[in-house]
Amino acid sequence: MANKVAIVGIGQTYHKSNRPDVNMPEMVGEAVRAALEDADMNIKDIEATFHANMETFEGIYMPDHIMAAEMGGFGKPGLKVATGGTSGGSAVCEGFYMVASGLQDVVMVVGYEKQDCGDTTAAITAALVPSWSKGAATGAIGEFAKQALSYMETSGAKEEHAAMVRLKADKGACRNPYAHLKLGLTSIDQVLESGYLVWPLRFLDFCPQSCGACVLILASEEKAKKITKKPVWLADVEVVHQEPFRAGTFGDPTGTETYTQHVACENIYKRNGITNVRRDIDLAEIYEPSNWEEMNLYEHFHFCEKGEGWKLIEKGVTEMDGEFPVNPSGGVIATNPIGATPIIRVAEAALQIRGDAGEHQATRDVKTALASALGGPNWTTLALLKREM
Amino acid sequence: MAKEPEYIIVNIDTPRKYNWSTGKYLGHVYAEAKENKKLVGNKCPKCKAIMWGPTIVCPKCKVETGWEWEELPETGTVTQYTYLVFPLWDPHYGERWANPHPSGTILLENGVYQRHFLEETDPEKLKVGMRVQAVWKEDYDERGLGMQDVPYYRTIEE
Amino acid sequence: MQTTSEKIEGMDVWLYHGQIYIPNTFSAGATGSRFLTTIRDKAKITGTRCKECNRVYVPARSVCKDCFAQLKEWVEVSDKGTVLSYTIDSEPKPIHPTDAPVIYGIIQLDGADTGFVHMIGGADPEQLRIGMRVQAVFKPKEERIGSVLDIKHFKPL
Repeated sequence: MANKVAIVGIGQTYHKSNRPDVNMPEMVGEAVRAALEDADMNIKDIEATFHANMETFEGIYMPDHIMAAEMGGFGKPGLKVATGGTSGGSAVCEGFYMVASGLQDVVMVVGYEKQDCGDTTAAITAALVPSWSKGAATGAIGEFAKQALSYMETSGAKEEHAAMVRLKADKGACRNPYAHLKLGLTSIDQVLESGYLVWPLRFLDFCPQSCGACVLILASEEKAKKITKKPVWLADVEVVHQEPFRAGTFGDPTGTETYTQHVACENIYKRNGITNVRRDIDLAEIYEPSNWEEMNLYEHFHFCEKGEGWKLIEKGVTEMDGEFPVNPSGGVIATNPIGATPIIRVAEAALQIRGDAGEHQATRDVKTALASALGGPNWTTLALLKREM
Repeated sequence: MAKEPEYIIVNIDTPRKYNWSTGKYLGHVYAEAKENKKLVGNKCPKCKAIMWGPTIVCPKCKVETGWEWEELPETGTVTQYTYLVFPLWDPHYGERWANPHPSGTILLENGVYQRHFLEETDPEKLKVGMRVQAVWKEDYDERGLGMQDVPYYRTIEE
Repeated sequence: MQTTSEKIEGMDVWLYHGQIYIPNTFSAGATGSRFLTTIRDKAKITGTRCKECNRVYVPARSVCKDCFAQLKEWVEVSDKGTVLSYTIDSEPKPIHPTDAPVIYGIIQLDGADTGFVHMIGGADPEQLRIGMRVQAVFKPKEERIGSVLDIKHFKPL
């Protein structure tokens, strides 16, 4: 039986397109110090660091070698993980495994990306097998564009619904002191008037390239009770990987492919006795690189029936004051420092459970929350968080 | 007003060159494309699906696929497509793509999905369900890059 | 660049000659920038001192790896120092700042507690030894751009 694991410290940087005032380790250091301050801890109390970064996005190969000092990791065990968009989610799992196994009692999970260094879309294009990548590869954007088209064709969703997702995200982002894009949008027409990036995706349909870092401190039950009065329990995690889809990476018009989201959420729901998702879970922070993918993920994670994701946004179910809030932080389409992004999802879910989300605190009381990450050829990581365990 | 501090920015502008081995499965695709203008995939002995790209193991059945090859049909139906509006960077050529650069997911007659570029550049004429056919590089000396020996798929009337 | 490939003789395997070409931009950050602009503007080498362990880091950095303390105190160190180690790379490579052979040295400047990686120039390979004394040779002011290569190399004393 696994030991209980608590989130006892949360820290993140503000997020921005450019950070010339810091190099990458210095930016990470800001989030590390914020998390230590949140937990009222000293770096000496941290036993190990697990960090997430997609090094090709910066072109800094093996960033581990420059990170130890700013991460407070010198002389301690450390592992870096790079699994595309899920990197941060994988690092959360690593930290969870270590504490749950009892091998370590207090560990730090660190995610970071400094996207003013390079061109992420180009790096994703380059990540594919060279011989194939000349075949219709335009990074993640092209794949999410095709997903948007398939979603429109198969579910009956209109561009207006995608625009509603952006409007909801922007409302959250404008209330979140750490969010990157704060556009102050007031109508869906403003989204529908934004130019195309990769058809049918508009500029406001897709996430930005952000610089930023996010840190969680995880602790065993015994340590957690000494560190904080408000531990948030990391009840369970799940990772599912797979081969690239043959029929479409994120949107499969044939309905024949198995999605990692299905496998991952069905595993975690089963293990934790979740039979009615919107009754048993109070809030979700999901990794949605585009507003179209958010509606798709509602369906994948069984927040609603297949083909009905757009109805949730239309009815306001997933708004900050709705019955089942999703991404009150503004989500990934407002802020995307890739290695940090999944850790921000977990961090934001934990803040909601603690009641410390401030201006973007959901109206309903949040006792249980789900955080997801998406990456690579549509891999999934999930984390289930609880106030009481 | 405080003077804005000066930040030093370093630009690295160097292509990283590599030599990448196809391995024997993809190597067979290269050879068939070069010599016979054929795209071929290998077959899973268990589920009989055609592996495209070819692999040593079927990802679904997790069995070794072996050396039974089947030619991919030349024609198929577009199930998804997109085209670039913003000029994205192509890291293989080290320049921005010439837009609109349409690409799509094409369902071939044998159930294989082919992800490739489309010749049609008029957005009005791109449609889900359109029928397309592989266009080959005719010059033998220009071939030798596997799937890139088919630079794009052309719309056909049937 | 046009991509090419070649079949390996006697095997069903092809070699694909490709490239990944993505321009990258790195910011030195506030601390690194001050270190570099001081070399450019004043031909002086500076470091940062840790208040807790008293160590002086050159090049200047923003945190002590042992103490996790943030380093705010700037100190000027000497342009003279001692070679802790060195190597000679005779192979021309695009990454080298100068023509091969290049002598790379780790130099502890007087007043610093850390090694500073740079090149040793104007030296006969026969003359190189650990513990030798060297001094920074700065490029002329008009050629200095705010790079660590504004120091041309370290010459033997």
